[in-house]
Parts: sequence; structure tokens; C-alpha cells
Amino acid sequence: MTSFDLSGLTASFSGKRVIGPLSLRINTGDKVALVGKSGAGKSTLIRLIHERVNRDSSLIPQDLGLVNALSVFHNVFMGQLDKHPTWYNTVTLARPFSKDRNEVHTLLNTLGMTEKLWTPTASLSGGQRQRVAIARALYRNAAVLLADEPVSALDGPMANSVMTHLRDGFSTSIIALHDVELALRYCTRIVGIQGGQVALDQPSENLTTSDIMSLY
Amino acid sequence: MFSSPTVRTSFIFLAIALVGLLFADIAITASNPWQDLGNFFLGIITPNFFSSEGLMTALLRTVAFAFVGVALGSIAGFLLALVYRSLPVRIFCAFIRAIHELFWALIFLQFFGFHPLTGVLAIAIPYAGIFAKVYSEILEEVDPEPGRVLPPGTGNITAFLYARIPDCWVKIRTYTAYRLECGLRSSAILGFVGLPTLGFYLEASFSQGLYSDAGAMLILFYVLIATMPLWVKPKLLPVYVLGAPFFLGEGLPIVWGNVQRFFTEDIVPAPLRNGEGLAGLTPWLNDLMINQAVPGIWNTIVLTQIALVASGILSLLAFPLISNHFGGPLRRNAGHVVLVIARSTPEYILAYILLQLWGPSMLPAVVALALHNGGIIGHLIGRQTNSLNLRADAPTGFDRYSWELVPRVYRSFLAFLFYRWEIIMRETAILGILGIYTLGFYVDSAIQNIRFDRAMVLILITALLNIGVDTIGRYIRRKLALQTMPTC
Amino acid sequence: MAFNLIRKLMLSSVFCFTATAVSAETFVFTAIPDEDETKLVERFRGVADYLSEQLDVDVRYVPVKSYAAAISAFRNNQVQLAWFGGLSGVQARRLVSGSEAIAQGVEDEAFQTYFIANTNTKIEPADKLSDLKSQLKGKTFTFGSKGSTSGRLMPEFYVRDTFDAKPEDVFSRVGFSGNHTRTLRLVEAGTYDVGALNFKVWDKELGDGNVDTDAVQIIWKTPTYPDYQWTIRGDVNKRFGDGFKQRVTEALLNLNDPELLESFPRSGFIPASNDDYEPIRKTAEEIGILD
Repeated sequence: MTSFDLSGLTASFSGKRVIGPLSLRINTGDKVALVGKSGAGKSTLIRLIHERVNRDSSLIPQDLGLVNALSVFHNVFMGQLDKHPTWYNTVTLARPFSKDRNEVHTLLNTLGMTEKLWTPTASLSGGQRQRVAIARALYRNAAVLLADEPVSALDGPMANSVMTHLRDGFSTSIIALHDVELALRYCTRIVGIQGGQVALDQPSENLTTSDIMSLY
Repeated sequence: MFSSPTVRTSFIFLAIALVGLLFADIAITASNPWQDLGNFFLGIITPNFFSSEGLMTALLRTVAFAFVGVALGSIAGFLLALVYRSLPVRIFCAFIRAIHELFWALIFLQFFGFHPLTGVLAIAIPYAGIFAKVYSEILEEVDPEPGRVLPPGTGNITAFLYARIPDCWVKIRTYTAYRLECGLRSSAILGFVGLPTLGFYLEASFSQGLYSDAGAMLILFYVLIATMPLWVKPKLLPVYVLGAPFFLGEGLPIVWGNVQRFFTEDIVPAPLRNGEGLAGLTPWLNDLMINQAVPGIWNTIVLTQIALVASGILSLLAFPLISNHFGGPLRRNAGHVVLVIARSTPEYILAYILLQLWGPSMLPAVVALALHNGGIIGHLIGRQTNSLNLRADAPTGFDRYSWELVPRVYRSFLAFLFYRWEIIMRETAILGILGIYTLGFYVDSAIQNIRFDRAMVLILITALLNIGVDTIGRYIRRKLALQTMPTC
Repeated sequence: MAFNLIRKLMLSSVFCFTATAVSAETFVFTAIPDEDETKLVERFRGVADYLSEQLDVDVRYVPVKSYAAAISAFRNNQVQLAWFGGLSGVQARRLVSGSEAIAQGVEDEAFQTYFIANTNTKIEPADKLSDLKSQLKGKTFTFGSKGSTSGRLMPEFYVRDTFDAKPEDVFSRVGFSGNHTRTLRLVEAGTYDVGALNFKVWDKELGDGNVDTDAVQIIWKTPTYPDYQWTIRGDVNKRFGDGFKQRVTEALLNLNDPELLESFPRSGFIPASNDDYEPIRKTAEEIGILD
């Protein structure tokens, strides 16, 4: 995956324009944090970008998109459904292969979730559910990460650990974050959104917390 | 009060039913109906469980037909649900479910004869139509988000298995299990046309006035249904479904030539079969319409409207029986028993019993339909009131009923009632087989006279009438913004 | 989970079609359900045993719930022999070419329908139906089965003939009780004022002391007509060997077990032919039961 141009992004809700027209160029290796106050259009922008780059992205939507009735393992495994034939996926639903079990187990280990491998996601806490969605995105292992507030339900140390995994796991990422500290620490480029437009676009080393706070 | 559309609609339907009563044939024609009713209850309390050697076999067959029929119906219905978006599929499903199990059985009897396939298909086909509709509604409600996050390039089947099915599996399972109970009822009444299920022996005992034998059969049937949660366990289900086909009985072998004959000769209208051509078709059709279809349609509609309102009134009267806003646990438990009996007895059997006791008229049919449907709706509404928390100083007694409860549950009450409108009509038509002059009477007469061409036209008319009522019912429910879950 | 279940369901549906093989060489017969079921089962199990002994093949009796079901089973070759009424026999033989009436009861040559009335109606017996015209009008009336000769066809024919009107227009209510025993019970109980039934059933119930003669009496007897007969399919020789039809016929004609005959009730069986039932066919066509 090379860099890509996103131009002419627009979105409207009931006749009212909420995004754009907006253009953004993402280079390979960019770790972009989308910041801005709630309602600025970050989630919508993530969705629009996902529509554009669908094939090559790992997505963590705000409402996670978990299948509540399936176990943690299966929800994570769903990240690689496209890599296996239908029969393989179907058998996995009833009885997972040990190779996949080990892979998923290892991955969840890094997120501190191994003991819950066979629990249906419906009975997990908010933070655990979030980590399942993150594990799915990591397991999918696409070139680009698109994430919408991926650590909003995690406490400080866990949020930092997860952000580290996300930074190391994807060469390119676009993450909507309301936590400015995390944005500055784990991302190389900060894009501020205000009123559906790009209000700020700077490498993070040029910015301080107070520079960004002006957007809020 | 009359400005409320729900109240206005209720009164319109009440008025229609009252007008219908003027035209309806309501009478007790038996000379000593209460004595017979007394004998019947005496039979119920002195059941004879050892009357017929076939009783246990009949019970087993009833269960077997229900399992195989419902299993096949649910598989077919599930496949149809996947393509339910297509209009022809929707029309096809509406059509097959608009024809009652007994009519299907009567049709299959003509060419499969007394082969188990007749009973199995009679249940499986209409159930497939119902399953298709309900499954597709359940699938529609699945959270779409997991589907969106799937990696692009995921196969359709894989996507379906991972992102859709698990989310609604519990609902599908619950509905299918519920439908199994309906299947037991359907299976039991198939005996009335000669299949080896409970109805076969029930009819024989009743017609000979052997009320103790009949009482034993009814009691066993109630026990069977009431204990379903105990013996229908998810783990045992595969065992039942695998085992059931072996308990359908042998019946008589199918002669396949009969199938071809039925479709290429029997159901071809007589004038065409006899080479009179289209010219002969008009008088044939005229005769059929004027002498059978029109009176049948009229009686079916009149009876349906009266039974609908009677069911409604009865369910409003019955729900306090199980509501924990009234009385103590003892009375509530008694209420539960009454409603379980009312709703587990198929309308057809109730009507049959009452017809034997009171003589022929629309009255036994109205009472049977009202008891059964009132029992179902009363149960659902009563359960709903149990989840209501009234303020501590709420009125008690009748004021509580009329000011606190009825206004709160009235909308869902109407929703259930209009949902059951089409079901009531389907049953009304079939009760004709018992001798009430609804469409079923004329269908049965045509079959008794070996005129399957006429029978098929009349069944077709019945199906269209059902589809029509279903459409109006759905329109009213949408108009009044009433929502409900499916019942059977 | 889901798939497990679905797989098992699929398998079971396959079993459903294979689990039902039946020995093809059983000779199966049925009878129209014109009387209470227990009586029929008792009677025809006896006949099955007798025939099985005489013919040296497995013989099985299959009870059915309606006249039409008996005809359909015969037509569909699921049964090869049937004890039909006059009308059902005509209907069946029209549908199965080559089928033949082979034997009838001695009494079936000259069969009769009795019109019976509840005594509360105060209708007095008469020799001619036309004498009862004014008394019958407006009463409730029950036939037996819709497809019965003595319980429907002949009484309807005479009602139409006498009143020159459909039964529905003569009586205030017209019902179909289902069978002769039930017609008797319903009129006896007063559920219907008047009914029409097979005279043999009346005589037998009366002889057994099962009729409350204070509550119900005969008010009119129809002229005689041919009724019940044994009808056999034309293709039985092909299936059960040459001369099989002849052997069945002889077995029936030689049936002289008094207990078995009493259960019908007939004093014996005599030869019959399809032509014997021409009057029935004509009557049925006349009142529009046959096309």
C-alpha cells in the first residue's frame, strides 16, 4: 500500500452538510490522529475514508461491530475470514483449528485477555469488548488502520499498552482520538477537524497540548 | 375517547360483528345440550386411559409427525427466508401459508393416500411459508455493523454464518421451539381426516359418545404440551428429529402414477377435461361461484368477524385470571390452568366437541374460536400486565382493571387481535369440514363427491380470502402503529 | 451449533423417505365408514382373517375417515378391494377402469332407507312421502355421510322428487351426521327432528336394544334399490396371480360364518355385476352428485 489521496470527501445528514468538501493526503508510514470536539465529524470522516480504502484497511468502529453471540475467539478470527475458503470458516465455527487457536491466543495474550477466549462477547465488559475489536483489527493485519476512539473504555496503562500495539502493528493508521495526550504520544501527524473541515494539519513534534486545545 | 383511532377501530369492528350476528345462524339445536355437556365433563374427570390399544401409538405418531413436519418446514422456510426479498417468493410463501394444514392433508390424501408423507407435507408446507416470513423478519433485525467490518472479499456464506446467524440464533431457536407446540396441535387434528394421530381416535371416541376415552386422550394431550419444557431440550432435539421419521408408521405405499394423474386430470376443470373447451367453462364456474363459493365466502366472513370480536372480548375478560394485580397465587394458578387448556386445545377439536354437544350452528364455532384465541391473547396480555409497576396508591379491583391496566395494554391487545385475524379466518374456513357452512364445507363436499377440480378452485378462493384479510390486518396494524410478535 | 443441527435435520429428512418401505404383496382392503368405528374394525378384522386364510396371502384392513377416502384409496391402488355403498361403488368404478362389483349382500338387491323422526315432532308414519309434506316442511333434517347412498343419495332423491325443491329449501336446517349410527343418535336425542338412514343399521340397533322407541320412530320407508357391494380392482390378477379375482369372489360368496355375517349385518353374499347399479348412477346424475 502506497500513499493515497482523499479528495472531495463530503457527507450530509438530512440535507445538512457535516463534512467537507475536504481533501487529505495520507502518506505511507503516517500515523494520523484525528482530533476535534465531539460532533466535529471525526466518526463520519473515518467512515468515509473506510469506504474509499475498504480493501486494505483494518477497521475499529466506535460501536465495535462485534457479534455478541459469538465467542471472543470467533470475533477475532472474523478479521481473517477472507483468507480462508468457506468450508474452512464453517468448520472453524463449530471447531476451530489449533493453528488459529494458537495465533489468536497469542494475540489476545498481548492484550491481557486470554482467559476469556471462549466467552460470548455479549457477557464482556466495555473495556474487554473494545480489546476484542482491537484484536480483530490486529489479526486482520491490513496495511492501514482506521480506528474510531479505540481506547475510550480502557484505563491509562491499558490504553497506553494498546496504543503501542496499534502503532507497531500498522505501518499507516488514522485514529480518531479525543485524548490529546495519547494523540501526541502515539501519532506522527495531527489532523484537527472543526465544522467538517480540516482546521489543523501538523506533524505532532511541532505541536503541544495547548495548540490542539484551541480546537475544543 | 372516540377521538382515539384505536378505540374508533374497535367500535367499528364491534359494530360489524353485531351486524354479522343478525345474519348468523346462532342456535343451540340439541334438545338436551347441558346433559351432554355434563356427560362430557364427567368423562373428563373419569378418564379411561386403557380404552384403546392404539392410544399410546397415536400419541407417539402425533409427536413424530409434528417433529418431522416442523423440522422440514423450518429448513425449507429458512432457505426461503434467504431469498424473501424477491416478490415472487413472498407471494409464494403467502400463498402456501394461507392454506390450512387440513386442506393440504386433504389434497395430498388424493394422491399420496395414507402414506406418512401426506401428514408430513401437510404440516411442512404451510409451516415453511410461516417460517420464511418470520425468519426473514428476524434476519432483517440483525445488527448490520459486524457485517460492515468484515474484511472485504469474505465469501457470502461465510459472512452470513459469522455476522448474521449468531446474532439471531437464539430468536430463531425460540420461535422454532414455539412453533413445535403449534405443530403438535396441527399434527393432532390431522387425525380427523384419517392420519394415524390423536385426532383419529378422538373423533372415533367422541362420535360414539365414549367421553371417558376422549377425556383420557385430551388429558394426555394437555400433559404432552404442558410438559414440553421438560422433554424438549436443545441437546435432545437432534435425537428427536433423527428418531421421529421412524415413528411415523408405515401407512400405505405411494403409487407415483397417482400424482401425475392428480395434476394432469383430476384438478383440470371438468368442462376442459371433457373437451367442452372454454365455452363450457363459464357455466361450470358460474355454478360453482353462485352455489358454493359465494355462500361459503359470506358465511366465512360473517363467522370470522363475530369470532374475532368474541375472541377480543374474551381475552379482555380472561387476562386478569393470570395477572398478579388481582387475587392470590392460588387463583392465579387456577387461571393459568384454564388458559393453558383453552389455548392448547386446537379450535378444530373444541368446535368438534361443542358441535357434538350443542348441535350444528355457527355458535359452537364462535365459542371454540373465542375460547382458543381468547386463551392465547389473554395469556400474552396477562403476562404483560405482570411487568407493569403501578404506583403504590393505585386503585384496586375493577377501577384498577379499567383505569390502570386496560388502557396500558390495549394497544398490544389490539395488535395481537389483528395479528390473529387471518388465523381466525383460516380456522373458520376449515371448521366447515365439521358441517358449518363456511368454505371448508364446500371444499369437503367437493372432495366427497370426487370433484377435485371444484375443491381446488374453492381452496384457491379460501387462500385469496386469507391473503386479503392478512393484508388488511397488516394495514390496520401499521396505521395504528401496533407492533407484535408472531403467534400461532 | 447451528450447523450441527442443520446437518442432522437434513439427514433425518432423508430417513423420512426411506423408513417407510412396505411389503408390496399384502392384499389391502377398506370399507366406507358408514357406522361406528369400533364396530367396523371388529367386523373387518374378522373379514381380513377369513380372507387371509382362504387366499393364502397377507390381507390387511385399513380404516378410513370418509367415503371419499375409501374411494381415493381404491382408485390410487393403495387398496385392491372395498366394501362400498351403491353410490361410492359407482363413483369408484367410474374412476378405475376394469374394476368390478363381485358380490353383494343378499339384502343389498332390495335395500331401503328409513326416514325417522323424533317423537316430539308428532309426525305420524305414512305410506307415501307426499302425505308428510306439510309436516316435514320447516323441520330440521340430517343425512348421514355426504357420499352415502342410503343416507344421502336416495333420501335426497325422494325429497327432491316429492317437494320439487332442494332439501335446503324444504327443511329449516340440513346436516350431515357422518354415518348412520350417528344419524340415529342425533334424531333420538332431538338434535335433529328428522333423519334418513340405512334400514339394516336401524334393524340391527333395534334388535340389539339400542333404540329408545319412545324417542324415535320410523315415519317412511323408501322403495327398494340396490346398495352395498364388494368391488375389486381389475388389475389384481396381474399382481396376485391368475385367477385371484375369481378366488376372492368365491371366498366372499362362500363366507358363511354366522357371527361375521351378523356383524355386517347380512344373511349371506350373492354375485353382483356393475350393471346392477345402473339405477344408482342415473339417480346420482339426476340430482347432480355425478357429472
